[in-house]
Amino acid sequence: MYQYDAIDKTIVSERVSQFRDQVRRHLAGELSAAELQPLRLRNGLYMQIHAHMLRVSIPYGLLNSAQMRTLAHIARKYDRGYGHFTTRQNIQYNWPELADVPDILEDLSEVEMHAMQTSGNCIRNISSDQYAGVATDEIIDPRPYCEIIRQWSTLHPEFYWLPRKFKIAVTGATTDRAAVQFHDIGLEVVKSAAGEIGFKVYVGGGLGRTPVVGKVIKEFLPRDDILSYCESILRVYNLHGRRDNKYKARIKILVNAMGIDAFREQVEADWAHFKDGELKLHDTDFETMKAFFPQPAYEDLEDGDVRIDQWLQLDTKFADWYHNNTVEHRQPGYRIVNVSLKEHGVAPGDATDEQMDAIADIAEDYSFGEIRVTHEQNLVLSDVRQQDLLEVWKALDAARLATANIGSVNDMICCPGLDFCSLANATSIPIAKQINETFNDFQELYDIGEVKIKMSGCMNACGHHHVGHIGILGVDKKGEEWYQLTVGGDASNAAELGTRMGPAIAKDNVGKAVRDILDVYRDSREGEERLLDTFRRVGIEPFKERVYAEENS
Amino acid sequence: MSTANRAIKAKPEALPDFLSEDLNNSKVVRLSGVDSNSMQHLAPGEALTLASLPAGEISVPLEFWLENKEELLNREARVALQLAGKEQAEDIVEQLNDIDMVVLTFVNFVDGRSYSDAYKLRTRLGFSGEIRAVGDVHFDQLGFLARVGVDAFELSDDEDHEYALKAFKEFSEVYQPSADGKPLIFSRRRVVH
Ligand code: SF4
Repeated sequence: MYQYDAIDKTIVSERVSQFRDQVRRHLAGELSAAELQPLRLRNGLYMQIHAHMLRVSIPYGLLNSAQMRTLAHIARKYDRGYGHFTTRQNIQYNWPELADVPDILEDLSEVEMHAMQTSGNCIRNISSDQYAGVATDEIIDPRPYCEIIRQWSTLHPEFYWLPRKFKIAVTGATTDRAAVQFHDIGLEVVKSAAGEIGFKVYVGGGLGRTPVVGKVIKEFLPRDDILSYCESILRVYNLHGRRDNKYKARIKILVNAMGIDAFREQVEADWAHFKDGELKLHDTDFETMKAFFPQPAYEDLEDGDVRIDQWLQLDTKFADWYHNNTVEHRQPGYRIVNVSLKEHGVAPGDATDEQMDAIADIAEDYSFGEIRVTHEQNLVLSDVRQQDLLEVWKALDAARLATANIGSVNDMICCPGLDFCSLANATSIPIAKQINETFNDFQELYDIGEVKIKMSGCMNACGHHHVGHIGILGVDKKGEEWYQLTVGGDASNAAELGTRMGPAIAKDNVGKAVRDILDVYRDSREGEERLLDTFRRVGIEPFKERVYAEENS
Repeated sequence: MSTANRAIKAKPEALPDFLSEDLNNSKVVRLSGVDSNSMQHLAPGEALTLASLPAGEISVPLEFWLENKEELLNREARVALQLAGKEQAEDIVEQLNDIDMVVLTFVNFVDGRSYSDAYKLRTRLGFSGEIRAVGDVHFDQLGFLARVGVDAFELSDDEDHEYALKAFKEFSEVYQPSADGKPLIFSRRRVVH
């Protein structure tokens, strides 16, 4: 993975000093809370219901074992012994003291981490495919491009006070696991017929109050031009994006108001001024960056180790885990292992300091010391030898990290909701629990197969409910928590927003409604259809009928 | 121009853009140090007329400048031109030969439009006079404003001006070019490799 040089180290450590001074001035009464607010936000520090919340950046979700141990250390020393992995592939701590935050940032800087631009109206952490570099459907490894964009966007002086937050995602595979069409800028790495590498560029996608699928602004942008082109998009947005209403301030609103053609015209006009200037990248830049993401030193192995068959037969728990939580690897003899952070009774995405330490150890022993964070709030050990799978499973199981529910109804995405978030209408963690309790028979889960449930506690859609196969949105009805359900959303290539079921559902009935939806699916599916496929074939009506049957009868 | 500009103009008004009252600060911070200031920044409005202009150095809103350009150019004392958030750097291209100072008016420091204006004035429109930031301008904005091409800053009189000079030294390295002519990080690494 990328390693800081002296320049990166200087920037991060000067940033820590800068924030230390800002906090000092605030505590000394020289900087008001209002003045500190935007400054702390740009260092990942929010004010929530109970306390401050610190969001630490995990660039494109990639971590090494030493970094994971530091995250554990922070949870232990400055927080309450746990952290929360987010849908943006970052980690949040819910209870840090303001005065401690400079020290936390300093500890992070020692392992080449920071919290810069994880909140505030600026360019946020770059997100990407959690299987980058190992997926069987990968065309090009997106990580070097992510890192190049990360550096360019860090402390960019012109785009630090944007109308609203700005998110960029990059994918390099045929299946889009980074939801690039739901980002302010989405980049799909592509190869032209002539073999030239470039990007298909989407702009103005996003969820939130006004979910919009991104529009193609450029079919093929040569990779050398990626920074200047992004800069032009940002400049047009910075100058023309709305600043009078924060709910209309994202770039998607500007692109929709202008129309994509007019927006493109502005961007291209700006770009023409400097496209071949200092921002133009050279082939050597890509080569240098690519060298930071080498293929791990794989052993020469074969697929089809007979021991695995034996283990599968001997232990059904191992078999369930193997089938659900591990994925095919492109290197023979290896497998991708998903680490579930969706243990029943635990808030989705939460991990304790002990669990983080355990994962760091397991990664070091069995997966080249690297860990990835997924936007589905799980972790990934990307390069595990098949012959080690039994050991890895035992080690994960001992740390309660082997719940065999990846991709299932129980593998929900869920924002912090009313338990932590000051904007929430409704709780989301208890709903996750309720659904887990409704579906506690794993054989049933496996029969249901892939269902992505995504839940947000309010319209801001941090839980990406619009693109859940089943989406759940918390709404407030006269001070009571109600839940609006959608079916058929999809964040991948066929990008689709979910279809609304009908009136919101009372809190106690959400689990039952999800069961109704899945019963309809099981009754009417054909062949290998997933819920999503059945929905596309039969439409919303049969689901509606069942969910609202009792009310109507 | 094209439909593009019309679409942009058709949007509702953004935050207030113009100074709401005249500004009269006694000091100005420059990259090189703190100087005394005698320039007065005049807010737009009914009260602003040629007859009401104070003596000495002044800056005026663009609209007032355009209406009274001839008279203003005849003044002995220096006259600078204000560029508000919603006005574009391109709007003053034809004025740049007649002035040696552009004043960016910050009504709220979180409104970052003027950063792009300063960048364009420096890198595309060839403006080499002074670009001064006034209004809601604080220590914590100075570093990035300097990078995009602003070279003078008026903080309110109750701020610590000497301390503000530290803002220009907070970062000794940067990742990207801007109006300050710093190289892109990757081009520096090219030399090393
Ligand atoms: S979706 Fe709403 S409730 Fe959930 S974290 Fe985001 S802002 Fe908070």
